[in-house]
Amino acid sequence: MPKRVNVALAQISCKVGDKDYNIGKIERYVKQAKRKRASLIVFPELALTGYTCRDLVYELAEPIPGPSVHRLETIAKKENMHIVLGMLEKSVKAKSVLYNTAVLISPKGFIGKYQKMHLPTHSVFEEKRYFRGGYQNPVFDTSIGKLGIIICYDVFFPEITRLLRLKGTQLAICISASPSVRRGFFEVLTTARALENTMFLAYVNLVGVEDGLQFWGGSRVIAPSGRIIAQAKYDEEDMVVAQIDYSDMDRVGVFVPMLRDLRPELFDSLKEQAENL
Amino acid sequence: MKLSPNALKLDWPLVATRIKRFIKDYVDKTGMNGIVLGVSGGIDSSTTAALTSLAIGGKKVLALSMPEEETYNVTDIKHTKMLAEKFGFQMETVDVSPILRAYYDSIPVYDANEKRSKGNLKARTRMICLYYYANRLGRIVCGSSDKSETMVGYFTKWGDVAADISPLMDLYKTQVRQLAAYLEIPKEIIAKPSTPALWPDHFAEEELGIKYEKLDLILLGLENFLTSEEIARQLKMPLNLVLDVKTRWLANEHKRRMPLATKLGYRTAGKDFRLPYTP
Repeated sequence: MPKRVNVALAQISCKVGDKDYNIGKIERYVKQAKRKRASLIVFPELALTGYTCRDLVYELAEPIPGPSVHRLETIAKKENMHIVLGMLEKSVKAKSVLYNTAVLISPKGFIGKYQKMHLPTHSVFEEKRYFRGGYQNPVFDTSIGKLGIIICYDVFFPEITRLLRLKGTQLAICISASPSVRRGFFEVLTTARALENTMFLAYVNLVGVEDGLQFWGGSRVIAPSGRIIAQAKYDEEDMVVAQIDYSDMDRVGVFVPMLRDLRPELFDSLKEQAENL
Repeated sequence: MKLSPNALKLDWPLVATRIKRFIKDYVDKTGMNGIVLGVSGGIDSSTTAALTSLAIGGKKVLALSMPEEETYNVTDIKHTKMLAEKFGFQMETVDVSPILRAYYDSIPVYDANEKRSKGNLKARTRMICLYYYANRLGRIVCGSSDKSETMVGYFTKWGDVAADISPLMDLYKTQVRQLAAYLEIPKEIIAKPSTPALWPDHFAEEELGIKYEKLDLILLGLENFLTSEEIARQLKMPLNLVLDVKTRWLANEHKRRMPLATKLGYRTAGKDFRLPYTP
């Protein structure tokens, strides 16, 4: 297990519905990340297709692993890179069932996926209309550390990142398609999720304009202390690389020992109250 | 939520940046040659003309002034020319009076004394001219509608609201005034009373029966799901006034949507045919 890992945050704009165009761009960014000595590159939520696909989701979604994942595997292998990316997933068992999914691919091939649990269906968001929420939040034990993934609105729910941390996650990855009017929420919550769990969090947001929505970028890596150690530009395509030193987690964990002070009995009460809201 | 003018304040440099980005992105993605917009010399069209010019360059923005004989106003035209010089957009004048006279002479039920239908005819005639120019020049039409008039339906259906993009549609009139001040639109344009100019001495606040300062706060309350009673209480105004605005807002939904169709098929335009913009 390495002590240090270089993570590239690739906040790209996407062409809605055009997977070939988007994969071409993804490949260019992977090459750029390799030149900057990154071993992991993270792309935004639904980066394969763009976020606002609406009814096109039914023709754009694919099984995972499937054709696009195989193309990404080829890129990951060629460039010796780990890739995290958001895409539309079609259930193999029931083709009308779709998920908003993140995939993790290593230089050796597909590792696993995370299906978004919390689907925003308010304001301009209509995800429950199209997607089924996921039920698993796996931790991936990889050669570059223990990685957990959440997607965008998941970050509003502290229990999911807490669970990832309790399962041993060192680096939580949050991929996102957040419109600019919500920037303030994400800037606060991404920092809070990293600090309250004393772990690293890499947040990668979409940029560009889709359907009148402007995505604000501002991707960042947050240290276990809550300090932002790398940040991409606001509102425009950009890539930054941050070096993560996992040993910082132990050092910070002594200074702000939230995990030591956890009170598990509160979780039972939390469940009971949440069921009777 | 406290309904006060402060609640309508935004970060104007950021708003201007976002609007400019939105305009440029749309023009770039459509691959069109530029923008055509109608200009009246009023605050909405002046602000839109300024923003489009800043977004894509004035050489790609054609502002059409479309006066007609009944409402011809030298000051408005002077103001637009002044703005064209400041922001560098192109300007052309189409006198729509002969077109309107042809309509008046051709429509059997035409009634010169019925102001609303005649006024709407003027707005729709201007729309036809705008789209003619847009088609001929390979450009898009940019609208100037603001959120106040959009919410209360204070516009002509398929007339002045008809456009490919409407960059100001999420800003209330009093917010447009603040944005205009930030953009250094000349004060005389910002200060003059708003008018749709569909007939002589036609003033918006007079016809609406309420000042924009009050209207915008009522609409902001409705936007934020406040009850009519709460809005009236906070703004210290009669409940009936709030209810009148709310009624106008609800009654004019037909102007803001695709034409209503009854559902017969699997997916229906305007209802559950939900496709993305992929220009």
